[in-house]
Amino acid sequence: MVKKPVVQIRDTTEDDLPSIQEWLLDKEVLKGFPMIDKREVEDSVRFWRQYIEGKMSITALYKKKRAGCANLYIQPIEKLKHQCLFVIIVGEEFRGQGIGTMLMKALEKRAKEQFGIELLHLEVYENNPAIGLYERLGFKRYGSHPKYLKEPDGTYYDKIMMQKFI
Amino acid sequence: MNLITESPEYDIRYSRAEDLPFLKKWVSHPDSVKWYPVSSEKDIDDMTKNWIGFSRFGASLTAEYQGKPVGIGTLFLMPYRKLIHHCLLYFVVDPDHRGQGIGTSIAKNTTHLGKTYFRFEKVHLETYEGCPALPILEKLGYKEIVRQDHFVKEEDGTYLARVIMEVQLSEVK
Repeated sequence: MVKKPVVQIRDTTEDDLPSIQEWLLDKEVLKGFPMIDKREVEDSVRFWRQYIEGKMSITALYKKKRAGCANLYIQPIEKLKHQCLFVIIVGEEFRGQGIGTMLMKALEKRAKEQFGIELLHLEVYENNPAIGLYERLGFKRYGSHPKYLKEPDGTYYDKIMMQKFI
Repeated sequence: MNLITESPEYDIRYSRAEDLPFLKKWVSHPDSVKWYPVSSEKDIDDMTKNWIGFSRFGASLTAEYQGKPVGIGTLFLMPYRKLIHHCLLYFVVDPDHRGQGIGTSIAKNTTHLGKTYFRFEKVHLETYEGCPALPILEKLGYKEIVRQDHFVKEEDGTYLARVIMEVQLSEVK
């Protein structure tokens, strides 16, 4: 009998949105995003619908439970559609198990094969532990936007910009 | 050379929704369209509608000469509270009135609006390499902070870099 893999990757569906919202509302996760509260998270998740419809979003299942999600923000603008930003989120309880790496590899494959993306890029805030993962996967820093994010306590964070030609 | 901006017939007012047809016409012009994130008519429609929408917040200025709009500068306000200490500037000048100081005037006044009314700490602008607005921005104190090669792919397959310029408003008089 063929054993099913523990982690499966499939297209994201609208049913996954509550999980994405829940992961984003985790205080530690929110530190890596510009949103600050439930209302802002709900607004940002609403935008995911168009990417779900366009098959630009994938979800990882770990032992059949939703574990993470990744999204290609492909712009429907002719001169910009060879490159895109992406975002990846892994639920707190599923971290450190290679799910982020699997999602990234699947997303990169989809970007290249289905959408003809040449350049994949991302934006993270300084000190985000995911920077190490991106570097291991071949992303290189091309710039940073100083003091892009300001927390309510007045602490600033630079936005780090990384990219990879695929 | 007498600049239009020194004429008594030159003025700057807050933008209104009725300025949209002018904005659309100027952005659509072949000399302009290359520097904005648009390719098709629909892209231009979507972008300019969003652009003029910021006039509702008093974040957009229109330059007029002899009572007719000749340029628009707008602060695109950020949608999240962690980002509201800064904003994104876009501006465009009527192609028939370029080289007459309007770009400098509208960019300067809009940046100033960001400092004095919105109390932003900084303003940034995003365009592509070779954009004729870059020297204007440098003159106003904007500095290049990010350059990303291969961001734009033109119809003939050539690539252009994305350039992000920023100014610290504490340094703007």
